Amino acid sequence: MKTLAFAGALMCSLLAATALTPVQAADMTHERALNVSKEPHNWLLHHGNYEGWRFSQLKQINTENVKNLRVAFTVALGGYESGGRYKHGNLQATPIVEDGMMYVTDGWGSVYAIDVSGGKKGLIKWKFDPGTDRAWAGDVACCGVNNRGVALWKDKIISISLDGRMFSLNKATGEMVWERKVADPAIAETLTLAPLVVRDLAIVGSAGGEFGIRGWIDATDLNTGKQAWRTFTIPGAGEPGNETWKDGKERWKHGGASVWETATYDPETDTFYQGIGNAGPDWDPEYRPGDNKWAASVLALSATDGKIKWGYQYTPNDPYDFDEISEHPIINAKVNGEDRKLVVHAARNGFFYALDRTNGSFVAGKQYVDQLTWTPGLDPKTGRPLNYNPNTDVQQYAPGSHGSRAGAPSGRLCPSHYGGKNWEPGAYNPELNLLYIPSIEGCNTIDTVEQKDFVDQGGPIKPRERFAGGGGRPTERLYGSLKALDPATGETKARLKLEYPNYSGALATAGNLVFLGHYDGTFSAYDAKSLQELWSFNMGTGINAPAVTYSVNGKQYVAVLVGSRQALNVWQNAPELKNTATASMLYVFEQQ
Amino acid sequence: MRTGNLGLAAAILAALFATATVPAHAQASLSPEEARALEYGKEIYKIKANCQFCHKWDASGDTGYGGIALSLRKTALTPEQFAEVVKCGRPGTGMPYHDQYAYTDKRCYGVTRAELGKDAPLLGESLQPREIDAVVKYLFAKAVGRGPATYEDCVDFWGQDTRQCEPMKK
Repeated sequence: MKTLAFAGALMCSLLAATALTPVQAADMTHERALNVSKEPHNWLLHHGNYEGWRFSQLKQINTENVKNLRVAFTVALGGYESGGRYKHGNLQATPIVEDGMMYVTDGWGSVYAIDVSGGKKGLIKWKFDPGTDRAWAGDVACCGVNNRGVALWKDKIISISLDGRMFSLNKATGEMVWERKVADPAIAETLTLAPLVVRDLAIVGSAGGEFGIRGWIDATDLNTGKQAWRTFTIPGAGEPGNETWKDGKERWKHGGASVWETATYDPETDTFYQGIGNAGPDWDPEYRPGDNKWAASVLALSATDGKIKWGYQYTPNDPYDFDEISEHPIINAKVNGEDRKLVVHAARNGFFYALDRTNGSFVAGKQYVDQLTWTPGLDPKTGRPLNYNPNTDVQQYAPGSHGSRAGAPSGRLCPSHYGGKNWEPGAYNPELNLLYIPSIEGCNTIDTVEQKDFVDQGGPIKPRERFAGGGGRPTERLYGSLKALDPATGETKARLKLEYPNYSGALATAGNLVFLGHYDGTFSAYDAKSLQELWSFNMGTGINAPAVTYSVNGKQYVAVLVGSRQALNVWQNAPELKNTATASMLYVFEQQ
Repeated sequence: MRTGNLGLAAAILAALFATATVPAHAQASLSPEEARALEYGKEIYKIKANCQFCHKWDASGDTGYGGIALSLRKTALTPEQFAEVVKCGRPGTGMPYHDQYAYTDKRCYGVTRAELGKDAPLLGESLQPREIDAVVKYLFAKAVGRGPATYEDCVDFWGQDTRQCEPMKK
């Protein structure tokens, strides 16, 4: 009796002790989002800040001591189950960290709230599993079972699932407050990107550029869980840009131009900069004569109402699948002695672009990949590919660099259709004024197959059927690189060749470090000026996600999601990785 | 050597493109052992070797991120020839091989990796002979020589816990 009472008392005190160390997080407000630099211990926004820098002011871990970095703790997660056409889910999320709580997602959209405040272990405080219809969503995901993370809003977590839903979750408990069907897998729309929250709006876009969607960007009013606005990325009949679809059969209705990575945002003008994906079908440009706006472009839009302010197209009538969905950092720089407001982009087509973000005019462009064969260069005034012909509707870029219906043999395409830089985000160190571009180097070949029409255009293709007009073919082993660029000119200031193409993304810190994961499981820290490797640790399974850094109780940590068995298109050229098993883990590092 | 390889590839292609005349296999009631074997082959096609990524769940072939994959429903290969392609892949195309020791000796088409050079096929998931046998049996029972897949085929493949087959209901 006595013993039991004692045990009971002990239990109570233990529970009380636990309850006494709650994680107190303030509501996430627009004010905080605009001032993330005042909270360097947190990682509050997907790209670190609205400008898309993925830069942390923390410098406890720096070039001097990074050699002493060691594993602080790891957390096993889930989400690697098969579904649809995929053997497993991937981890691609950027963790969000707020006052000792970390929020991450797995590929199937489960959200994990992990208490990392103790520094010794990560305790999963709650998990929200949206019950994604895996076959339904996974069969219309072109390139993997992916989810790139959550956003904070007031006392809620805003998340999405591959099968097209958005969720508002109670931040303290994980309980769902509402869900909204945003994208419709019945017409091959899926969601994979982390929402961009601006004030009370959550902005996302639809993936599905290989399945005949018509892309859009959509804002949800987070107070009501209802749609605030939707803007199609391919203008409708009568809207400016629609005339760049010249087939006469309304093929723009299935023209792709998907959206699958989070935009950057300039509060000064309430404008967000959204990278837009490839035109569909990917590899049969004769199907869609014309420039195909706004595929392979960047759009500047008003966050308040979604109105397009301007657009800039990188690869008109793109025959390569040069999807330009990746981030568009906002940087102010001196160009020829003049202060300029830039939005910059390391494009999948192999060029770096600097645009004037107030009007979309071309400022500078420069090749950043090692090899580029599809065009001899960019027009110095407009940034258009030099071999772009304004008098033709189907562009003929460099002979052999793309397929055609006539069946002319395809040759080497450099960079390969994977890029250049794919979705994996770069980082910007404002103190050094260097932009870090993790990229995929090398070449492959594109074969074209004449694309048949959709049923609503009199053809046999039904919604959800693949709509790619051909396929890529590996011809050589791809490799990777990390390059440090001057963001005003695109000039490469430092370069490092990597054994593997990069599919994870970069983190830059004020400790003058750049962190990067690799798909053989190596996680590395590089000197931000020389790009010399200063430290590495191998996790034993592929890394497919960008790292973040944060601090709790005055101590800095570096965190990254680990565990993607790479798809066939990755390990087919790296057979030594063939037997790498998948896992689903969070790794957190600390200084020894 | 080059000519020999090209000739070989041409022969394989010719066989694959030949008009399909293989009759549909009657689906008599299966013994528990036969049903188990088909289920085993389906799991290899669906998940382990992930054949469906390129050939599509109904084996009707596709274009896209898996490259250009032929329809297996329309193949004119015999089960033995089909098994050889699974084991050895198709030189000069995106079809991978699934015997991890292929081309280390002359077991596949009488050629080695060195002899094939750039035409050597890609490495797929390693399958044991009994697994190759199972996936071939599955495809010949469910896909080869058949017309377009039906709603019932879809439910058979994906199960009932998904909306995946709803568009085929009509």
